[in-house]
Amino acid sequence: MEIRSFTDYLRSLDDAGLSELFAARPDLVSPVPPDLASLAVRASSSHSIARAVDSLTEFEFQILEACVALDEEFTLKNVISITHKDAALAVTRLITFGLLYPTDKGMRLPTSVSQLLINEPAGLGPASLAKLKLTELNEAPEAANRVLTQLIWGPPRGSVGDIKNPGPGIAWLLDRKFLVPLDQRTVIMPREVGIFLRGGKVHKSYQSTAPAVTGTKRVEKSVNMAAAANVATVLGWVEELLHFWAQEPADALRSGGLGVRDLKVISAHIGIDENCAAFIAELAYLAGLLTIDGDDRILPSNNFDIWLTQSAETRWSALAANWLTTSRVSGLVGRGEAKSVAALGPELDRVNAASTRKLVINLLNEQPNLAPDLDSFTRTIKWVAPSKRNPGIQEELILWTLREAEWLGFTGQGASAKYGRAFMTGADEIGIDTDLPKPVDHILIQSDNTAIAPGPLEHDIARDLSAVADIESRGGATVYRFSEASIRRGLDHGKSGEEIRTFLVKTSKTPMPQPLEYLIADVAKKHGKLRVGNTASFIRCEDTSLIAQIMSDKRLEVLSLRKIAPEVLICDLDAADAMNVLRNAGYLPAAEASNGALITGHRSHRAKAKPKPPRVIGEIDPPSESTLTAAVRSIRAGEKSSHKQSKIRDSAASALGSLPRTTANETMDLLAVYVEKQQALSIGYADNNGAVSHRIVDPIRISAGALVARDHATGEMQSFRIPRITGVAPL
Amino acid sequence: MTDGPLIVQSDKTLLLDIDHPGSVECRRAIAPFAELERSPEHIHTYRLTNLGLWNARAAGHDAEQVIDTLIKYSRYAVPHALLVDIAETMSRYGRLRLEADPVHGLILITKDSAVLEEVIRAKKIAPLLGVRIDKETVAVHPSQRGAIKQSLLRLGWPAEDFAGYVDGQAHEIELVQKDWKIRPYQELAAEGFWHGGSGVVVLPCGAGKTIVGAAAMAHAKATTLILVTNTVAARQWRDELLKRTTLNEDEIGEYSGAKKEIRPVTIATYQVMTKKKNGVYAHLDLFDTHDWGLIIYDEVHLLPAPIFRFTADIQSRRRLGLTATLVREDGMEGEVFSLIGPKRFDVPWKEIESQGYIAPAECVEVRVNLTEAERMLYATAEPEERYRYCSTTATKRKVVEALVERHATDQVLVIGQYISQLDELSEVLGVPLIKGDTPVKERERLFGLFRTGEIKCLVVSKVANFSIDLPDATIAIQVSGAFGSRQEEAQRLGRILRPKSDGRGAIFYSVVSRDTVDQDFAQNRQRFLAEQGYSYRIIDADDVFQGKI
Repeated sequence: MEIRSFTDYLRSLDDAGLSELFAARPDLVSPVPPDLASLAVRASSSHSIARAVDSLTEFEFQILEACVALDEEFTLKNVISITHKDAALAVTRLITFGLLYPTDKGMRLPTSVSQLLINEPAGLGPASLAKLKLTELNEAPEAANRVLTQLIWGPPRGSVGDIKNPGPGIAWLLDRKFLVPLDQRTVIMPREVGIFLRGGKVHKSYQSTAPAVTGTKRVEKSVNMAAAANVATVLGWVEELLHFWAQEPADALRSGGLGVRDLKVISAHIGIDENCAAFIAELAYLAGLLTIDGDDRILPSNNFDIWLTQSAETRWSALAANWLTTSRVSGLVGRGEAKSVAALGPELDRVNAASTRKLVINLLNEQPNLAPDLDSFTRTIKWVAPSKRNPGIQEELILWTLREAEWLGFTGQGASAKYGRAFMTGADEIGIDTDLPKPVDHILIQSDNTAIAPGPLEHDIARDLSAVADIESRGGATVYRFSEASIRRGLDHGKSGEEIRTFLVKTSKTPMPQPLEYLIADVAKKHGKLRVGNTASFIRCEDTSLIAQIMSDKRLEVLSLRKIAPEVLICDLDAADAMNVLRNAGYLPAAEASNGALITGHRSHRAKAKPKPPRVIGEIDPPSESTLTAAVRSIRAGEKSSHKQSKIRDSAASALGSLPRTTANETMDLLAVYVEKQQALSIGYADNNGAVSHRIVDPIRISAGALVARDHATGEMQSFRIPRITGVAPL
Repeated sequence: MTDGPLIVQSDKTLLLDIDHPGSVECRRAIAPFAELERSPEHIHTYRLTNLGLWNARAAGHDAEQVIDTLIKYSRYAVPHALLVDIAETMSRYGRLRLEADPVHGLILITKDSAVLEEVIRAKKIAPLLGVRIDKETVAVHPSQRGAIKQSLLRLGWPAEDFAGYVDGQAHEIELVQKDWKIRPYQELAAEGFWHGGSGVVVLPCGAGKTIVGAAAMAHAKATTLILVTNTVAARQWRDELLKRTTLNEDEIGEYSGAKKEIRPVTIATYQVMTKKKNGVYAHLDLFDTHDWGLIIYDEVHLLPAPIFRFTADIQSRRRLGLTATLVREDGMEGEVFSLIGPKRFDVPWKEIESQGYIAPAECVEVRVNLTEAERMLYATAEPEERYRYCSTTATKRKVVEALVERHATDQVLVIGQYISQLDELSEVLGVPLIKGDTPVKERERLFGLFRTGEIKCLVVSKVANFSIDLPDATIAIQVSGAFGSRQEEAQRLGRILRPKSDGRGAIFYSVVSRDTVDQDFAQNRQRFLAEQGYSYRIIDADDVFQGKI
């Protein structure tokens, strides 16, 4: 079968070839296209191509650029001649990606690749229309050489004062067509000239294999130990953060996310810097350990309770898995110019974040025990994935990922450690549980009112202990301090002094110091001596028999009275209601003011709010004579004008013929055809206000959703947005 | 994971498990760079501070050694960030150096001109500096040597001081060890000080700080100025020096309210040094009248503010601070370190006790119930009067009587804060009282009688808090104190810590009114000792009356 187009090429592929394509570009099969023609359309869409190009290495991308710079159809030999001897491998990869396809006469690019993606490949201009004698360039005068040096590595465009009156150098070049005028002020250097000047190659240099990562060699054992410490630390941080928010929930900003002040508070509380605090908050958020509830409060979720009971390995895996796949970038929080970007907020998503992260981790894992230096690491990553979609942030992404990998314990001392590697291979056991210190089930109480847990405490003990003691120091061990306030908190939590004592005696390996025992007993003795409650009103009477009578009066049950002293009753109803009930039951109560004085006399109430009289909907006043005449006049004038306009429009339409109308798909197809043919077109084009005008244009290319064409009416290049083109017809 | 004795916490504290077999070795290894914070019975707490790390650098330890030590002894993996932080902190030391230049005098010099630029621009530093000599050197006013070191420390760029010390006027001093022997820790302390140049030695009360001072003098072999808290202490110093060194009476002078002698070794009191005449400190000249080779500050935790300021000006003289309790309720510990010098020696009290150099002591808190009437009076007292009220109740007096009676055969000290209470106790118990207005002669007479055992019991006010050497006192009864002062409590315990001839233990009673501020203050007062591993036992006043102790 003869291969004339990309669609033909796809048809020629066997099943293996297609699966290879799908494996390289998974977006092509989600959803699965109905037929090969639609597959071809999808594979040629700018979005899909951008994704495909993102997965290329720097070298492959350079080869692709070179291919774009070649005239179709070309051979591998052509490619190698203007690039590097190792281009063959890259070309095979490009074919796998469907960014290049072989035909009977040679290789071609799907039209959209050159049109949609690369306007000036590798900074080269368009192909020259005229025949060039390139050898003449060697004798170019000094002035011309200066111009050429400016343009050689792109961009190939340069501006001149006046094209009619150029300087001697430019004039020399223009004469020999080594420069071509683009418009009144711009000249462009043709592709052939560029390649010639670059010494027959397209790029300055080629690196066909990834540059090696350099850095510091570490000892495997200490790397793993450091990573274990990091894992233990990060789990501690997450737990601490959520416990903190459980006590004092943070308020989310109105624009979403965590405010700078709250971030400072948690970073101070945990004792980490703000970047790290934002990272920890995001980790917890991603793993679903915290939620932002309806009242905009940031609180730990139920999942947190479940998470807490799990083994260290499960807990860590939950954090790590979500971190690896998220598109959210916590490094953006509080970064230089973007101060307003909040953790847990809506603005943290970045394209490429997850893929860059995976790339970084995989690259780290390739060389265990090597702590790479950032420069060399960044260079390698940039070679492997020269991100085209979000290049600005890639370097920072690498830096942040390395930082976060260390915090999380994917690395230890900057080098990849075994837990992260095991996790990435999907192993059942990644060794955290065996390597992390075993939980201890006891504490050591000392006579200075501290208790020390010489290792991570079992969950239940830690929970109970932190209810009755304050944490003074964290790390491998935990130091708790008992104080009057902490014991009181334990009592508030519903424990009795005896329960606290028994718990401590049972948990402590050392005998309970006597002063602590006394402290607990003292606080327990005093606790609850004062009682505080809410009440709406009270009833007071010096006659205790009357109080007794009221208490036993069935009619007063509605008041739900409670006797808190021989002469005082309290009541849930407010004073006015209580008095009414009492009066109805035949008692003679009087009101008492806050200072104990009797309130007598009639009370007439006044509202506290400002008066807001209701709105009046009135009739419209009849218009005056002059207003009416003016209105009529203005309507008549408008009518005349639009009549005139429609007449003009009609005559224009009859002169030009009716506006072409095509469907969106037809439009795309026709445009693609005529762009290739470079034939003038008649199009209908909607302006900003929706009015459709008729244009005659020479199509040049399609790029970024727009048709770039020369408009016959103005003689200038203009880009027409494709969705606004109402129809296309050949002239 | 190793099974080491040390746990490194993320807040830079180090927990040392004392019950671990490797703890002694580990303690020695971390002592040069970590500061001992608490030493209760099972786990000792050390802290890594910038100051401590810099002192370690000054003593010739580098970051690698510190990190290796931590990793070697640590039970769990040490957080990498902490190690990086240690390395960074330590690398800041010595980027700036103070040197004596033959042409320009005292200069601040660096190899890292960016650091110099940074500090020169600091507001606090600029006035202390002289002319800029070149890109890496700037002159310093010689009188500002102390001030600039302090300010640089605060900026986080501690200067290494190579300007050296003046030797002072030479004077032959040797230890005479005939019927006694200097203890190993005293020798270590004196040597630690001497190699460090200047600094503070922290030893428990009764552990023989005077000997450390004498040993330091024997190292210096130069004229020495000794600053002590009061005249009685001054005389005790003199007696000790006469006994332990080659010095004779003519070589030791006393500079106090009573006498103004200046001799090769002069012992002055803080009181006279800070006495003002016509609004100026008349006696501060003493620092300059003589070319002292060594200045010793006894009980350095009591160093008064004027001497603080003056000390900043004499940074070229060697300074030795001695104390048992470097806790100041005014938080000036840092100032002591930067002016006198860093802590050169510190050892847990219990360690000295276990070696038998101080008497084992038992601390007992006796809780007294107020009577109903006393409770009511206390509840309605003005807040500022409350402590005085509850710490001087009649019930307390009865308890003291019972305790004194119980220990009738022991040497007993009754210590208190309020003179009226002490007057009363002295009268009821029928024993002499020593207070602020007791003449020095009378004090010495009474202390003398107490030492010989002719008097079994003494009531003393806070004048006896420090430096009073009463070897045979075995019982102290504290009835009231300066609110929650931790160091007062420790110093009072110190009065009875001298090892007894018969190896008996000492008992320290603190009588406290239950459910009052007295009890709250007591808890704070006990903190220092609790952190040193002294465990308080609480008993009820009724137990005392019934003889159940």
